[in-house]
Amino acid sequence: MSRTLFSPLGSSQLGAILWAKQRIVRHTLASVQRESKLKVAFVSISAVALWLGIFLLSWSGFGLLGGMSEQALGVGALRLSDLVMARLLSVFALALFVMLIFSNVLIAYSTLYRSREVTHQLQSPITTATFFLGRFYECVTFSSWASAFLGSPVLLAYGLETGAPPVFYLALVAFYLPFVTIPAALGSLITVIVVRVVVAVKGSRLHRGVWLGLAGVLLLALLGFFRGRIEVPSFVETPSLQAVVETLGRTQSPFLPSFWVSQGLLGTATGDLGAGLFHWLLLVSNALFLVWLATLAAERWFYAGWTALGDGAGVRRARNGRGILDRFDAFLRPLPPPVRSLVSKDFKLFWRDPAQWSQFVLFFGIMALYVANIRGARSFTHDESWRALGTLLNLGAAMLILASLTTRFIYPLVSLEGRRFWIIGLAPVTLRQIMWQKFWLSVGSTSVFTVSLAVLSGWQLGLDRTAFALSVAGIVATTFALSGLAVGLGSLYPNFEEENPARIVSGLGGTLNFLLSMLFIALIGAGQAAVLLWGRLAAFVGEDAYPWVVATAVAWMIVLTAVTCLVPLRLGLANLERAEF
Amino acid sequence: MTVMIQTRGLAKRFGPKTAVQPLDLDVAEGEFFCFLGPNGAGKTTTIKMLTGLRRPSGGSALLGGHDIQRDPISAKQLLGYIPDHPFLYERLTGRELMRFVAGLYSLPEETFEQSCDDLLETFELSHAADQLVETYSHGMRQKLSFASCFLHQPRIVVVDEPWVGLDPKNIRSVKTYLRDKTRQGLTVFMSTHSLQIAEELADRIGIIHRGRLLHVGTVDEIKSLASAAAGSLEDVFLQLTREAEEEE
Repeated sequence: MSRTLFSPLGSSQLGAILWAKQRIVRHTLASVQRESKLKVAFVSISAVALWLGIFLLSWSGFGLLGGMSEQALGVGALRLSDLVMARLLSVFALALFVMLIFSNVLIAYSTLYRSREVTHQLQSPITTATFFLGRFYECVTFSSWASAFLGSPVLLAYGLETGAPPVFYLALVAFYLPFVTIPAALGSLITVIVVRVVVAVKGSRLHRGVWLGLAGVLLLALLGFFRGRIEVPSFVETPSLQAVVETLGRTQSPFLPSFWVSQGLLGTATGDLGAGLFHWLLLVSNALFLVWLATLAAERWFYAGWTALGDGAGVRRARNGRGILDRFDAFLRPLPPPVRSLVSKDFKLFWRDPAQWSQFVLFFGIMALYVANIRGARSFTHDESWRALGTLLNLGAAMLILASLTTRFIYPLVSLEGRRFWIIGLAPVTLRQIMWQKFWLSVGSTSVFTVSLAVLSGWQLGLDRTAFALSVAGIVATTFALSGLAVGLGSLYPNFEEENPARIVSGLGGTLNFLLSMLFIALIGAGQAAVLLWGRLAAFVGEDAYPWVVATAVAWMIVLTAVTCLVPLRLGLANLERAEF
Repeated sequence: MTVMIQTRGLAKRFGPKTAVQPLDLDVAEGEFFCFLGPNGAGKTTTIKMLTGLRRPSGGSALLGGHDIQRDPISAKQLLGYIPDHPFLYERLTGRELMRFVAGLYSLPEETFEQSCDDLLETFELSHAADQLVETYSHGMRQKLSFASCFLHQPRIVVVDEPWVGLDPKNIRSVKTYLRDKTRQGLTVFMSTHSLQIAEELADRIGIIHRGRLLHVGTVDEIKSLASAAAGSLEDVFLQLTREAEEEE
């Protein structure tokens, strides 16, 4: 009997898909050799430094906890530190689990419905189940590498600090795959169902307003639900370790995969292999069940949803001048015509790609929800040092979100002009104008959210004038700097061949952009911290130095922003002017 | 006569707009059928319904007797499809892409080895077989999509405007290849704007306009529908579509 291609990999079709992906990864890694050595070195060193930084921070954190008194808890043999660390592990796993579900919904949508590979694969005699599993594998890979990178130093530090046996490190690997599979399966399941429901709603005769109303009611109900549940941790009010343990304990539920992971890993770390094996089997069986369920859902609803989404392209959009975006164009009238056209085009492309704007909404939505609830923490609003710390943390979080958004959305903008460069290349617009348009688009669109968050946070925490002004100025400066960096590096390292923004970002240039953004945030954050945490700093440098510290922080912010914004823009422009299209 | 492509009442609506009106069509085994129509006439939508990439609003499409909606796997085993803008994996080599496609069609190892080399040679890609697709010119990509389409020896090939990016020499060799294959029993359903090629290759022609199939027949039959002044197929095509517009 003749041997079918890829048969050792199970289904020959699934084997072919996995084989092709493996070849693509191999060729992509080989292509790194053609990149600038300096860029590769910087990204590699930064990645290693980031990993080591997380490791050392976690290690010292766990070390601090490990040194705590046994008597504080007063429960006999069980050490308080062990309990706190166990609870932290559980919280960490829960946070990772929730983030993975969100990211998997977005990844599944673009992988299952938007990718051009879908059409290519579906024209072959491939079953929906095989197709789905091939794409699902990609979802798991895409969504999990970052969690492996960020999670491994924390867990290694935990193992080293607690003196875990070697089996613990093996368990880390064994638990990882089923753990990331569960949110990937849930994300795919949610996506397949949502797409099917949305296309059914679109095709139904019920008025669109009714559906929008129902969606609005659902959203409000969800917000109400979460608002009642987001409580400020009691350890903020009464900073005792007992309260820490109690608060962290609220995240524990025996029905959550994050609980199974933390309990299983704890079991292996403490030598209770039975508990480890039990939780691992629980995780694996649930992962397999959910993959089966998601495959079943895909077999039933994927094709109808996918074809209906394709049909949507044939439906006429709102008549000229009557759509939301056409009305938005009215606000752009003060801009000169070529720039207005470019801004309008970028907004329309962004708006018509739900995979893009949903991430934007998600990031800022979560942040806004958190900031809106912060007033509940009396210590944050009444205690000076807690207030300063809270402000600094809020600013840092807003800046980090901004960094991920400028990297994700602004960095690829120039690359995305690639195959259409002839349109704007022939128009009476200079490259300088195009770059500045992207820059102002980024500043204009993101500052609405970042400045609102900074103002809301400062208002909620009741900051004094100086701290309030400095924190708002800091976020404005960061918006300018990170926008300039993203547009500049996006022009310096454009990828005109790729049409998928997520893939453009995943290259070395995108990674470099994110790492430099982080570096900027750390540097500008140091200046902000000097002013906001003045209460603690004054003891070292004297009360009289306050005006000088504020002036230095402002000067530092201006210089840093100017350099981070203008240097990449200049280099990017020079690169585009040299390029041939 | 064995009917390889059969549509009955095949129709497509996008919301209130009708893209393809109920279409009844039979294409026989070994026939070269050309689908002509102006831009936006419904050619690509029809092709996508034939290949199962779009769900019809009504009616059915049978390939070799298998309903593309109810029994897609059996229908697609017989089918090869070359879209107007084929998707190719940029970071695979030409040979790797062929191997991947062969895997999707569950080809045996030895069949693949033999067919792959033959097809790469036929389409003059042997020299670039081990280069990444991202280095290929537009014409080479088009030829690679042809080569990969014929790997599993389909009995029906649906081609959507295949001449984009091909130079005259390659157009000639692709025409010859398709013609030879139809003589061996392959059924070709081709959408094109090139009336000259349609006149040269087609056993029968179908003219579609605004989603409605206006006429089906041999080149001579189609020509006879127009007035005596209309000489070439191009003249006839323009006259027939103009008349259809005037009727509406």
